[in-house]
Amino acid sequence: MSHKFGMLFFIGAALLLYSCGSGNKQSHNRSGGDKSLRQAQEVAGTGGFRWDMASGSAIKVLLNQHPYSEAIIKKIPDFEKVTGIRVEYAITPEENYFDKVTTSLNSRTGDPDIFMTGAYQIWEYAGADFIQNLDPFIQDSNLLSPDYDIEDIYPGVLGTLRWDLVPGHMTGRGPLWALPLGFELYSLAYNKKVFEKFGLTPPKTMEELIRVCEKLREFDGKGTYPIALRGSRNWGTIHPGFMSTFANYGARDFAVEDNRLVSKVNSPESVKMTEDWVRLIKTGGAPAWSGYTWYQAGADLGAGKAAMLFDADINGYFQTGKGASKEAENIAWTVMPLPEGQDEINSNLWTWAIAMNKASRNKLAAWLFLQYFTGAEYSLWSALEMNAVDPARKSVWNNPEFQAKMADREGYYETFQATIDGTRILFTPQPHFFETTTEWAATLQSIVAGKYTSVQEALDILKRKMDEAVEDVVIE
Amino acid sequence: MMNMKIRQLSLSALRNALLSLYALFALFPIFWMILITFKSDAEMYTTTFQFHPTLYNYKEVLLRTDYFKAFLDNIIVSSGAVLVSILVGVPAAYALARYKFKGKEDLAFTILSFRFAPEILVILPLFMIYQALGIYDTYFGLIWVYQLITMPLLIWVVRGYFEDINVEIEQAAQLDGYPWYTVFLKILLPLIKPGLVAAGLLAFIFAWNSFTFPLLLSGFRIETVTVASLKYIASDTVHYGQMAVAATVAALPEVILALLIQRHLVRGLSFGAVKG
Repeated sequence: MSHKFGMLFFIGAALLLYSCGSGNKQSHNRSGGDKSLRQAQEVAGTGGFRWDMASGSAIKVLLNQHPYSEAIIKKIPDFEKVTGIRVEYAITPEENYFDKVTTSLNSRTGDPDIFMTGAYQIWEYAGADFIQNLDPFIQDSNLLSPDYDIEDIYPGVLGTLRWDLVPGHMTGRGPLWALPLGFELYSLAYNKKVFEKFGLTPPKTMEELIRVCEKLREFDGKGTYPIALRGSRNWGTIHPGFMSTFANYGARDFAVEDNRLVSKVNSPESVKMTEDWVRLIKTGGAPAWSGYTWYQAGADLGAGKAAMLFDADINGYFQTGKGASKEAENIAWTVMPLPEGQDEINSNLWTWAIAMNKASRNKLAAWLFLQYFTGAEYSLWSALEMNAVDPARKSVWNNPEFQAKMADREGYYETFQATIDGTRILFTPQPHFFETTTEWAATLQSIVAGKYTSVQEALDILKRKMDEAVEDVVIE
Repeated sequence: MMNMKIRQLSLSALRNALLSLYALFALFPIFWMILITFKSDAEMYTTTFQFHPTLYNYKEVLLRTDYFKAFLDNIIVSSGAVLVSILVGVPAAYALARYKFKGKEDLAFTILSFRFAPEILVILPLFMIYQALGIYDTYFGLIWVYQLITMPLLIWVVRGYFEDINVEIEQAAQLDGYPWYTVFLKILLPLIKPGLVAAGLLAFIFAWNSFTFPLLLSGFRIETVTVASLKYIASDTVHYGQMAVAATVAALPEVILALLIQRHLVRGLSFGAVKG
């Protein structure tokens, strides 16, 4: 039987290798590359921009389940009317969304033409030549609508989607790989009713935050707790409040030394920050903190189980609005607490953007889609009518109607304005991002569980693991 | 005598009480799931039974989304997959049970091996083959790939049932002058019915609950309930009420089917068919 098993395994592996091999060959034959870009430019001609220049073509769009997608779907009929392009879309829940995107892009069949992506995924996809560089489209006046004011997009947000493909180089330079639909920055949301009841003011420093947590233990009986934070063994635990605070303490994840990436997570700044963060979790975090993701953290603030939420501003936002949650009327925002003596806010960010498949065979139509759904007119409509927050365009934030809508959420607008200038991606781009940040989250869990004698010991071990993970990355 | 009766009665009362307790324990998750279908998002996290019942979740799922279409799609692909498996699998199981031919066991093992690899491991080549053949995102494509799930199960279960039937029954029918197809349809099929029904039901449940294949090999035109019901976990929040509606509706066909064919799930019909 073992002989039979061996044979089967061998045949299976050979078939798999063959399939993958033929896939790569196919990519050379089929991938759009520059040829399809030139074709798009030829079709567009030199007569200036027209929305109907790709009329009659059809594109496929892969969307993640999100308010941004709901807004897009609602406007697709309008887009089809204006452009004459037929759009087919598929929505996939976030949990499995990137499995689907990676499989589809990896096949290099050109299907889908457009997909939603985050900035961190670009570090993987752009390096693998899956995504179309958008600069040639942006720079061609025949392809860019005169109304498309790219300067209107916050530079910090647009910059996260630019990267020169060199690991260790920060985002903001190099080709543009996607255009933002919306984004989130990090701040402190709190239940103002609870704060009033206890006579508290929103904390400005980490020490104040911990002191407030001490006062809010079981603030409304058993099961209630001071602050909701993410804690699951996942990169999602590191990138919101944790990474922002990490940067505010002056710590860095990696540095480039001798053309190699070297982890700096065991620096004195990082140790101090981690000690304070662990103290915060132990003083005020949820009893089941280690299982907490975006959903539990946001839901607990909305349900009145948590008095504060240190996470994405929009996570708290989605708990507001009529009937959204029990505490919908009581949620307010303030800027994130900083370490003592620090007054400059650094916030990490996450953006949902739309990108073009490099192997797409309908690049002109795909480009028109990208432009339409990241344009100023659509951004304003989606922010006003469809909860597509935070909009990435300054003109939307300056719009009186939008400001009036935000006025119902105490402190939201002000917190955004105070934070946006210091908002950018704080991680060092590298292809093993998900591996290293997940390891980071696991270490944080172990520290909280008391598995190490000191934070320094834990971070020394984490540094070694991170160095091993990025060992193959050589910076030329 | 009296003592005996009292003892028996109390034993039976205790048994019934324990069974009722177990029934409560077993049915509570379903009860809770149905209960939250009537709760609004704002009252979702209250653990008491006091809330303001609403049909909002039902309206949202059944009328305002494509969930009903996903439900129909799932019925088409799951039933289609089981039907194809029965049409192809029953004769295959018969051949594997009755005939002696070279490589018989190897063939049976190969069929079983379809289930060895995790679906996610083989999905990329399948995705590319499906794109090349033009069967990506089609009913035909999903029914075909579902054979990896349903066919091995059906063949291996039904094969065992065929092996249980004494070959003399077939020979007796042939002696009576029946052609082979009549023997197969009129004599053998009724005898393997319990096994066929059980395997068919299990195959249907596995096909119905399949996730990876419909997630990655369809989505634009065709969508199944397993994928569609996860959509209520949006990035903004989890709409538990809507998810509960989706899960309740998704469980219905399996429950109804299981109840309808319960009487066929009786084993032992072939016992005593031949005198020793």
